[in-house]
Amino acid sequence: MTEVRPSLSVEIAGLTLASPLIAASGTFGYGTEYLDVADYSAIGAIAVKGLYLNPRPGCPPPRIWETPSGMLNAIGLQEIGVTRFIEEKLPGLRELGPAILVNICGSTVEEYGELARVLSDVEGVAGLELNISCPNVNEGGILFGCDPDLAARVTELVRSNTFLPVIPKLSPNVTDIETIARRVESAGADALSLINTIPAMAIDVETRRPRLANVVGGLSGPAIRPIAVRLVYQTAQAVKIPVIGIGGITTAQDALEFIIAGAQAVQIGTMNFVDPSVWSRTRAGLEDYCGRHGLASIAELSGSLHVEGVVPSGY
Amino acid sequence: MKRDEWAVLVERRVLSADAYLLFFEAPTLPSTSLPGQFTMVRTPGEGLLLRRPYSICSVEPETHRFSLLVKVVGQGTGALVELPLGSGVHCLGPLGTSFERPSAGARAVVVAGGVGIAPFLYFCESLAQNGMMARVLLGGRQARDLYLKDEFVELGMEVVCSTEDGSDGHRGVVTDLLMDALEGPRPVQLYSCGPSGMLRRVAEMAADRNVPHQVSIERRMGCGMGCCLGCVVFVSDAIKQDGNGEGNYRRACTEGPVFDADRIHWDRDQHPL
Repeated sequence: MTEVRPSLSVEIAGLTLASPLIAASGTFGYGTEYLDVADYSAIGAIAVKGLYLNPRPGCPPPRIWETPSGMLNAIGLQEIGVTRFIEEKLPGLRELGPAILVNICGSTVEEYGELARVLSDVEGVAGLELNISCPNVNEGGILFGCDPDLAARVTELVRSNTFLPVIPKLSPNVTDIETIARRVESAGADALSLINTIPAMAIDVETRRPRLANVVGGLSGPAIRPIAVRLVYQTAQAVKIPVIGIGGITTAQDALEFIIAGAQAVQIGTMNFVDPSVWSRTRAGLEDYCGRHGLASIAELSGSLHVEGVVPSGY
Repeated sequence: MKRDEWAVLVERRVLSADAYLLFFEAPTLPSTSLPGQFTMVRTPGEGLLLRRPYSICSVEPETHRFSLLVKVVGQGTGALVELPLGSGVHCLGPLGTSFERPSAGARAVVVAGGVGIAPFLYFCESLAQNGMMARVLLGGRQARDLYLKDEFVELGMEVVCSTEDGSDGHRGVVTDLLMDALEGPRPVQLYSCGPSGMLRRVAEMAADRNVPHQVSIERRMGCGMGCCLGCVVFVSDAIKQDGNGEGNYRRACTEGPVFDADRIHWDRDQHPL
């Protein structure tokens, strides 16, 4: 009897990805940096570093600080601007294999719209992730993601300017994730990704100075995973479009939590810095799990959380 | 090519109460690393997440060994020096830029403060192999901070020391020794690594005399691969070429750690580690 390899292929927002594992924006550069050490065949898509229309210098250093099982950062979206991205980075990205999602940011609603228009005209972009959740920039970023009206306006304008799949990336820093998720869904989003980093800070008590020059940053890594799983669970219940889970994934077990909670795919971020073999390990672990649980496809697992007999206490 | 290799700890040499020279065995890192490059070490430890960057201190390609100079300053360094012999860690590398050897006829002068000496043992070995020598200015608070002094002497380097308490060599700071080292008929090529105040003083003295100067910059790093943008250095050349798209920040892990010192904007690069 030949063993049939379970399928890890997933359909998200009209895209067929060879694997449900996506490289998270801001942790995988412009896509080629990890070619020597990561197995790109395990990567379904790469969300490249957030782009504005124009280059930005980013925050002054220190920009990162380690916390227990976590990483605090305030990079402030240092980036090269969309024109240089298209000219210098995109040609090399097309050849890699994984689908390319471009993470776009704006200081104004109109900037998101303009970026969507520009990126729709070039070959090799599979989808747009809308960064409405960066905690480290003065204008835009998280401001758009914390206001349902603004989040919907950004999504609507981008939607009307592109045929590409539109994936708003949500912030955990909201009282009611379901409301914002439903609003961007009705504004035309094809999928949602969440969560971005959690606003956080750390202090050097000897000098009484903040660890980051920006004072406040965003927390990522395993420390935030349970929060992310909860938000993905709630969001997946609230919307019909696919959800991409993000937050501290280090192993297949972690990825499976998000998928069982309702995600169709997941993003791996901070763990890229720690262990580039995370891609091959996680893929192997997902295949092993599907085999052990008699699943022909990982897609069957999405939202399969058993809650019968559990009395929810409300949140 | 960068690789993430399993490196087995084979020898732990005690340098002082809180500093160690750790020798690891790994398949390719010892033969692929260049002087000045570094590796990202994944340290075991409860709650420790990120790797830590260490300069490659020495290499022995025949025995597949390389060494790292580790001074205990926190949890990560503490966990690394307590690794049992025969255990291993993942080392990602070789990473970053390397030192260029002095041009023909030039004299190499190395200025190092404390653990800033780490990248220079390999560098001086490569000089010795090419029939060159360097004057090595070693500075520290006290004699026990002058790591690897004997190793440099053995390589045939001219070692001059300074300590703040006067327990070895000149009483004062290492830059006091620099004026004398810059004298002489032959042109000098300067190399430095250490605390940022020291680097800045060396850079100013080098700039005053038009002496070429390569500096190895130490930074906290997230990835070492150019992706997290956490380790940036403020450079002044970008100001001149404004509009090149990357602002004034360059990654210490990728565009560095070895920079031409005249690129660093010392006023704007105040970076407490």
